[in-house]
Amino acid sequence: MNPWPVVIADLRALRWVAWAAPLLVAIAVALGVAISAQETALRRSSAQAADDFDLLIGAPGSHTQLVLTTVYLQPEAIPLVDGAILNALAGDERVRAAAPIAFGDSVRGHPVIGTTAEFAARWGRAVPSEGRLFARESEAVVGAEVGLRLGETVTPSHGVATRRPAGTDGEDEARHRHEGVRYTVVGRLPRFGTPWDGAILVPIESVWETHGLGNGHATEDARLGPPFDAARVPGVPAIVVKPRAVADAYGLRAQYRQGGTVAFFPAEVLVGLYTALGDVRDVLVVATTLNDVLVFTATTMLLLALAGLRRRRYAVLRALGASRSYILMSVWLGAALILAAGCLSGLVLGGLAAWVVGQLVEQRTGLVLAVAIGWPEVLGALGLVVVGSLMALLPAVASFRTPVGDSLR
Amino acid sequence: MPASGAAEPAVRRPPLLAITDLVVERSEASRPSRRILDQVTFVVEPGAVIALTGPSGAGKTTLLHAVAGLVSPDAGTVSWGDLDVTALPEAGRDRWRRDSVGLVFQDFQLLAELGVIENILLPVRFDHWRMPRAAVERAEQLATRVGLDPRGPRAGMLSRGEQQRLAIARALMRSPQLILADEPTASLDADNSARIADLLIETTREAAASILLVSHDDDLLGRAGRVHRLEGGGMRPELRPELQHERGVP
Repeated sequence: MNPWPVVIADLRALRWVAWAAPLLVAIAVALGVAISAQETALRRSSAQAADDFDLLIGAPGSHTQLVLTTVYLQPEAIPLVDGAILNALAGDERVRAAAPIAFGDSVRGHPVIGTTAEFAARWGRAVPSEGRLFARESEAVVGAEVGLRLGETVTPSHGVATRRPAGTDGEDEARHRHEGVRYTVVGRLPRFGTPWDGAILVPIESVWETHGLGNGHATEDARLGPPFDAARVPGVPAIVVKPRAVADAYGLRAQYRQGGTVAFFPAEVLVGLYTALGDVRDVLVVATTLNDVLVFTATTMLLLALAGLRRRRYAVLRALGASRSYILMSVWLGAALILAAGCLSGLVLGGLAAWVVGQLVEQRTGLVLAVAIGWPEVLGALGLVVVGSLMALLPAVASFRTPVGDSLR
Repeated sequence: MPASGAAEPAVRRPPLLAITDLVVERSEASRPSRRILDQVTFVVEPGAVIALTGPSGAGKTTLLHAVAGLVSPDAGTVSWGDLDVTALPEAGRDRWRRDSVGLVFQDFQLLAELGVIENILLPVRFDHWRMPRAAVERAEQLATRVGLDPRGPRAGMLSRGEQQRLAIARALMRSPQLILADEPTASLDADNSARIADLLIETTREAAASILLVSHDDDLLGRAGRVHRLEGGGMRPELRPELQHERGVP
């Protein structure tokens, strides 16, 4: 038997409903897929962004805020930690490397981050894709997404302004410009897929000097980076520490949790955020599941009603010689096609929606969300296809059971 | 009996269709059971054209449905040669109907969304996944025979007369030996009625099939070899028995 001509005729007869019903199902499925894919991508990307921030030390305050400010470059005024700790860390055998992070200035909306060349190169993991790392106070290396050319000279402004196209300054920036301070772009970092791609990295010494705090060294012409002069080193918002071993990391964290500082692993904060995110996700999953149930039920009811309206049509097919199983197959196939088309379109639509949201998040935060439809989403959609196929049996069985004689009257 | 619609119509004599003491009752909720057909007995001789007429509600359509095996009678038998159709299980009746019976409805009952050739081929789809080439050729011949373009538009785009011609072609697709036609000209104008009546009788005769039809159309009744009147569920004496001699119907 070949039910396709009847299925095609039935779908054609549905006209706009044949498009509207799968679209409704697709939207319902897409919501679940988008939430799942987006949440997965957010977890993965945010964790990756924190990869090089093994241990953070800062002044007492919100751990979350310190992570948001240092890892994700979400601007916020945070208290400073004593710069002398930098020297203590430099002499600590448990520390492979430590770098200060200072911010507060911007160029065309790009944050200017003061740090060491070592951390700019992510502890040696990254090599500039163009040019080189900064070697003087007046030099800067830019993130992959910064629209400045090598050799271009810029003046930072105090505070953070909206990101602007290269060559344009906002009024805020013009008013708060640090006149006399100039950075020449000497290198460009590779793409990390983090907010740091939109940052301008300069020597920590230049940030201190720009704000009238000296350069942190005993002499004006000292070479960049640690060790700093214990008597002159100013405070910094945060210090990133790369411990030698896991045990060292825990030891350092315990030590710097007292004495006017906080120390923690960004992963701890992320785990807390993921827990909250997971709770929100759970609520959304319940909501989208209910949504799916409602839409699937409504669509099945619609198909059931349609099968009822087509009683005579199917009875005529029986009269022409079609078996009951032929009718069952035709009605089931038509209904299952509508529901399956909705589920599979929903998978694509959900992936597309997650990608769009990912683009918006990247635009706003610089965090690249590697949105991908994974097995959980595919299996979820396939599960819904199975559920839809089972629900499609309802109108099929209803048509199967309808007495032909009654329907032909 | 052909196994599929692919076969060319062979010249063969259909078996005798015998309806014996047929009783069909209809029970509806909150109403007592009503006898629609009350011991109806008659035969359709091989190759005969038999018409049924009678007032609305007399049971004419129910009789056609019972003959086609679409309604299970409460008593009596429908025999097709040596085969007791009423004794067959539902799947057996489906098979018998598919292989031996062609149905023509008053309101055509085409799939409006399918084209001419797809509608004619529909009865072959019930037991073939891939359409045999011979079946397609036969469908094209039938479409041409009833005056339609095989590549014609969707059935819903055809005129009423064309739709009924298409329905006749569909009924003949599997070379049935019995055509059951329920008011085949009732929804057509006079011109179309006459043309469809001619076509139905001619094509059925070409196929050497018997016809049992229900009609109030005098023109169509006039072409029947015998006309029975159903009234109150029972068969009344045959009308115009003289026609039997004139038309040489046994």
